[in-house]
Amino acid sequence: MDKLLPILLLVPVLGAIGCMMLPGAKVARNLALLVSIITAALVLPLLFNFDWHNTAGIQFGFAAGEFSTAGFRFSLGIDSISLWLIALTVFLQPLAIAASFASIQDRAKQYYAWMLALLAAMLGVFMARDALLFYVFFELTLIPMFFIIGIWGGPERRYAAGKFFLFTFSGSVFTLAAVIYLGIKAGTFDISALVDFARSGKMGHVELIWVALGLLAGFAVKVPLFPVHTWLPLAHTEAPTAGSVILAGVLLKLGTYGILRFVVPIGFYATSTDQITAWNITFLKIVAVLSICGVIYGALVAWVQQDIKKLVAYSSVSHLGFCVLGLAALNHEGMQGSVLYMINHGLSTGAMFLVIGMIYDRYHTRDINQLSGLARKMPIMAFFFILFTLSSIGLPGLNGFASEFLTILGAFKSEHLGPIYGGFAALGIILGAVYMLHMAARVIWGPLKTPHIEHGEEDHGPVLSVDLNAREIGILVPLALAVVVIGVIPGKLLNTFQDPISRLLNDRSGMAKVDKTAPAAPPAIAARDIHPLDRIP
Amino acid sequence: MNDFSAMIPELVLTAVACVLFLLGCSNKLAARRIAPLIALLALAGALAIEVFGHFDGGGREMQAVQHSAIASYIRVLALAVGVMLLLLSWPTDAEAMGNSALAYGMDASGEYFAFFLLSITGLLLVTTANDLIMLFLALELTSIPTYIMVSISRPRAVAQEAGVKYFFLGAMSVAIMLFGFSYLFGTTGQIQLSKIAEALHHPALTQWELLAVVLCIIGFTYKMAAFPLHFYAGDVYEGAATPVTAFLAFVPKTAGFMALIKLLIVVGGSDFSQLPHQITTLLWVMAALTMTAGNVLGLLQSNVKRVLAYSSIAHSGYMLVGLAALREAGHSALQGVLFYLAAYAIMNSAAFGILMLLPGRRRLMEVGKEPLPGDLAAETFDDIAGQGREHLGLGLGMAVACFSLIGIPLTIGFVGKLMLIRPALAANAIWLTVILVINAAISAAYYLRIVGTMFLRPAMPAVEPETAQSGHQLVKGQFPVVAAVALSVLGTLLFGIVPGAAQKLAQHAAARPSPVVGMTSSAQGVAAAR
Repeated sequence: MDKLLPILLLVPVLGAIGCMMLPGAKVARNLALLVSIITAALVLPLLFNFDWHNTAGIQFGFAAGEFSTAGFRFSLGIDSISLWLIALTVFLQPLAIAASFASIQDRAKQYYAWMLALLAAMLGVFMARDALLFYVFFELTLIPMFFIIGIWGGPERRYAAGKFFLFTFSGSVFTLAAVIYLGIKAGTFDISALVDFARSGKMGHVELIWVALGLLAGFAVKVPLFPVHTWLPLAHTEAPTAGSVILAGVLLKLGTYGILRFVVPIGFYATSTDQITAWNITFLKIVAVLSICGVIYGALVAWVQQDIKKLVAYSSVSHLGFCVLGLAALNHEGMQGSVLYMINHGLSTGAMFLVIGMIYDRYHTRDINQLSGLARKMPIMAFFFILFTLSSIGLPGLNGFASEFLTILGAFKSEHLGPIYGGFAALGIILGAVYMLHMAARVIWGPLKTPHIEHGEEDHGPVLSVDLNAREIGILVPLALAVVVIGVIPGKLLNTFQDPISRLLNDRSGMAKVDKTAPAAPPAIAARDIHPLDRIP
Repeated sequence: MNDFSAMIPELVLTAVACVLFLLGCSNKLAARRIAPLIALLALAGALAIEVFGHFDGGGREMQAVQHSAIASYIRVLALAVGVMLLLLSWPTDAEAMGNSALAYGMDASGEYFAFFLLSITGLLLVTTANDLIMLFLALELTSIPTYIMVSISRPRAVAQEAGVKYFFLGAMSVAIMLFGFSYLFGTTGQIQLSKIAEALHHPALTQWELLAVVLCIIGFTYKMAAFPLHFYAGDVYEGAATPVTAFLAFVPKTAGFMALIKLLIVVGGSDFSQLPHQITTLLWVMAALTMTAGNVLGLLQSNVKRVLAYSSIAHSGYMLVGLAALREAGHSALQGVLFYLAAYAIMNSAAFGILMLLPGRRRLMEVGKEPLPGDLAAETFDDIAGQGREHLGLGLGMAVACFSLIGIPLTIGFVGKLMLIRPALAANAIWLTVILVINAAISAAYYLRIVGTMFLRPAMPAVEPETAQSGHQLVKGQFPVVAAVALSVLGTLLFGIVPGAAQKLAQHAAARPSPVVGMTSSAQGVAAAR
């Protein structure tokens, strides 16, 4: 069992090498699908053997030799938050690979190899227990994505790929510097030890804020937070469908995950004394304001988009704003909602990109003005489209609701943010409904309109059925199920986040002082707040 | 003979160089053709002697030459990388019109490789030089052959121009350096480095002593391609044939850094604790300006060799960051610099080697004109556009090299940067670190442009299909270059994933850096006396 995590990393890497070595594009794509499914299957024993009474503890720990004098260890381990994000990753990856079957014809071997390499790097980020190792994996996600966007993307792909790489890299070098600085001070790069050290009060407040700013630089670009989001719409729009799915579904979560792991304990709440310093509060408020700017700005810009994919891309900016806002709320509601948001956004936005990709495969356009009334021609597609739209808006009963509700509740109840922040964020929800429904209404309903030249002629590769084919339905059904299941019983999932978040908030308030040795005397507050959600049908 | 036992590798290389000069006069093509083979054997032999010979100086003190751990490290590095550079320089058939159709392939082979060996000999001597005269001679022995190598590397005006520029500016830098040496002698009255170290007024140097040190450092910056004498790099690197450019980016640079480290040991003691703050500040400023100048200018280039030239400047800047942190961080900073020298040599050889292997230029400057060797070398971004798709192996190799130069994890470049940033932060040089990471981000733009051009851009249409074909055959017929490229790409990845062994070597070398006889004891004596 203790070797499970390294095996999980190794399988996709071997798969990637296999894809390059074996002859034939067909072989490569089937192998890639197989490998991604095996990887997903390997996560099942993780889920079953995970000790759910000790969700905050690091489980399945694995540590290999020291990387000599560079001083970092290959140490892996997961708690419940990492586990669910890993589950999200391996859940989305086979779907993304399957979704590429029709659209990726050129240099397919390389494509699938990069997809699998990307999978390994993403899993590594969620598993790493060493801050430098975390950074290593964090950076390694760039290269596969750079090639995926740059080679198989849309007309602006070169620009988009370069911008994606440079933005993210420019941010993350500061993260590296901050990690090393903290590591030198602490004498270790183990994430828990780093956080403990930062909270021990051995470093000055201002010093810690600078470190936190450095850390935030990389994560903020990845999330992306408001002023540094400009790479995202471009990258999402130009990436091939699967690239967008993974980008929205998982890569953006690396940013929020990094904020959760590093910036929250170090920047927002750094000292072990009972008071947050004025520095922390200012820092936290700035982040919260930026995330609300992102929420509103993303929504407004999404509203005026003509390109469906770009619209969904801007909706990501808006949604991830909620996610960061929840983290900045610094209470159980906000943070649990935020973690749930990471998963939900991955599912619903990933699904939206898949559906849009399927439309694009048929009509070779994503222009709202050229598409209308598709429900008449593609009823099955319309069903999924509306389902995921509603999930994205946050309709009660679907997955988006609980997380959106909780993040805003968190902002309202937060002692540092309060109703003004919550109110503005709530405005974002309304705007979200406006732009998504606006798009859905025009594309799905209304008079039937498709582009003049329809796809399906001889010169356009494989002929696709009018409505979704079995493969495409097979891709969307698991997502639809997940959307509904999480929507109906979010409480179960939320409960598993409680302990790790209690630990993050640990020294803050007496109520959350979980005894780490005694299994699961679940702290009351969040459970009370969440149970009503369970009852929502 | 005993007195010369420490210099056997140098003697071997010099002797073989003399043989090669004679061989170059031969009127038989076959005789001239075996020159690279002889040079390769000589280098390999010298490397074997160096590795297995165990020279620790044996406690013998020699006036001019002294071994040390750091010297051994650089010597092994110089000889090993020398082998790789030699493979890159391997001449090919004159019919080949691609990148490595070098002028010396036919008529100047003997001379070229003789100069090659002499320059490496110079570098070896720099590592062990123990007095000012020897240091000066060794540095000149490193540089002077490179002036000629640049000029004879290809029969193009741009190479002649580069050679002349390199020579005159080099002469100017030597004048500055020599001026510094003269002050060093004038203020201390000593020639031997250890005696100078004793005679200097530690830790607060007098003005004249400071002036001497500063002039020496500025003189060295020419060899290192660092601010303020970095400006020649673009023209010279572009003008020289690609293998010579790769040579310039390693041998003189390493000699410059070695000389600078020696000087810093003399000034600061073997643990660098007595470095005057003026010198540290100077290094700080030089590091910041060198990195920034290199990277910003690198952004503006359209010729890949020029890009790599400015990147060479930038990497000197990164290493200067380590030197600027020497006083506070001591041996860990030195270890970082020593490791980075090796890292840069490996990843840079990979980049230049792949540039050589890429099929030649597809469009001629003037249609109908018979191209000279080297005219068709792939140099500009247009030349390499789309080549990563057609030659996947070369493309991936270039990607590895570029990502390593950027400092992406799992490459030697990342480990190198890590080993420079850590001591810099430990030395509390936070702003310098911030400048370094900003520069890493800037540099990512142009390295990424190389990768992006190779993979994401369509290839330029071929004007003459035959040219493209001969270029393609070229890749097949160049085993030595392919071997060198494969070695360096593998090294880039291998040391990036398991850097332990190389780090230990650098650590060992940095732990006892004093190449100066008696320096440790005497400097400690001086320190104790205070």
